[in-house]
Amino acid sequence: MDFRQNGFMYALGFIVVAFVIVQSAFFIRKAWKRAKELGIESSVLKTTVTSSAVFTVAPAIAILATVIVLSKALGLVLPWIRLSVIGNLAYESTAASAVLGNLNQAITDKGDFSTVAWVMTIGSCLPLVLMPILCKKLHSKIGGALSGDSKVGKLGDYISAAAFIGIITAFVATSINGKSSDGKTDGGFLSIAVLIVAVILYLILETIATKFKLKKFEPFVMPLAMFGAMGAAVLFTSVLPAELVNHSWFN
Amino acid sequence: MKKTYYDKVHTWGRIWSVTALAVLFSVPLAISVYYNAWPEMSALFSALLKVIPIFWISAVVEVITYTPMLGAGGTYLSFVTGNITNLKLPCGVNAMKSANVKANSEEGEVISTIAIGVSAIVTTIIIAVGVLAFAPFLGALTDPDSILAPAFDRVTPALFGALLASYLRKYWKISILPLFVGCVVLVFSPTLGAGTLLFVTIIVSILGVFALSKFNLLEKK
Repeated sequence: MDFRQNGFMYALGFIVVAFVIVQSAFFIRKAWKRAKELGIESSVLKTTVTSSAVFTVAPAIAILATVIVLSKALGLVLPWIRLSVIGNLAYESTAASAVLGNLNQAITDKGDFSTVAWVMTIGSCLPLVLMPILCKKLHSKIGGALSGDSKVGKLGDYISAAAFIGIITAFVATSINGKSSDGKTDGGFLSIAVLIVAVILYLILETIATKFKLKKFEPFVMPLAMFGAMGAAVLFTSVLPAELVNHSWFN
Repeated sequence: MKKTYYDKVHTWGRIWSVTALAVLFSVPLAISVYYNAWPEMSALFSALLKVIPIFWISAVVEVITYTPMLGAGGTYLSFVTGNITNLKLPCGVNAMKSANVKANSEEGEVISTIAIGVSAIVTTIIIAVGVLAFAPFLGALTDPDSILAPAFDRVTPALFGALLASYLRKYWKISILPLFVGCVVLVFSPTLGAGTLLFVTIIVSILGVFALSKFNLLEKK
């Protein structure tokens, strides 16, 4: 049985899921009680529940898609756990790649698997350490100062975006002209073609979503572009000459 | 002195955050104990050295930026379940707008908490159901002889191409320089992994922001 997704791993997954649900239910119950004390009508609260649930369905499916994408290297359960607690796609992909080099090969070594789990956990734990210390102070002192149009808040947004762009461009650059350790996924025709298809598909789908105001479609743009580009890899491999498909800068 | 609702939320939030931390660390600990597979310290530190500078700087920026927007209860919930920018924040904002309450009011606080709590539960259930449904087919999908093998072999460009595109429209000015520098570095050192290269690209990217800000070019169309 695949050690990445056996009964033990699923048991871990269910413990994490149970924790998230119990914690969320606790806060909802307390907030609901307070809302009634504040005189907020039940109908408003029920609408909040329904609209939030509907609002969540599409992005949650998009998150599920990223679990499946990461599952080739890590199996289904670890990405499932990580994307249920703190995780997001950029964090988990980067942490796994920092250990494995890339995400194209299935992980077979239990030591590597354990290392990936530790790196993901230690890498992402800081908010949970900071929250008990800073949250109350930030709420009482900073208030909405950073959330509005303040210059500091905007620069903060750009720096945060720049950090992620830095991560993303490193992986994009290695797809363009990097040499992989196994020699099978070197930068070359296929990886650049897949990259270009992903970018173009995303921009087209995003334009469609924006132009036609398809709010419910927006969360699907990224996973569709990603799956479309992966589909293009299959198509190119099937219809184009092998010499072209296998071309890399290093052969 | 009687505790306000906010005081209570912060007390509960602190307890839940510490508990979440324990649950979070119990996962790799359980994996290591069950498989008797502990990480090699050199490999662990080498990987952590690559991710901690980015993740932890990002974490500080995110905590400072998002905390005032999410409300107290919403903040504690969001930072446990993650996916803040793409889900929790818009969901909380949407709920407050629909209920016609202000973000910094106590009404906004409770509405935001309920919305984010519901969102966390729905997300968790959808992912869990999806994982169980996909498990039987995964082997066939990712087998090296499968017709789909080229797709899974090219996950990295597909995934990061789409991610890059998601930033391009708004942040194209910041994206060009680190991508160019990354490619140039690889010309001279093609085997440099992305995990190491990202040190260079992140520094270039952040320096680019400061340079563009200095010359007032960040917001300029």
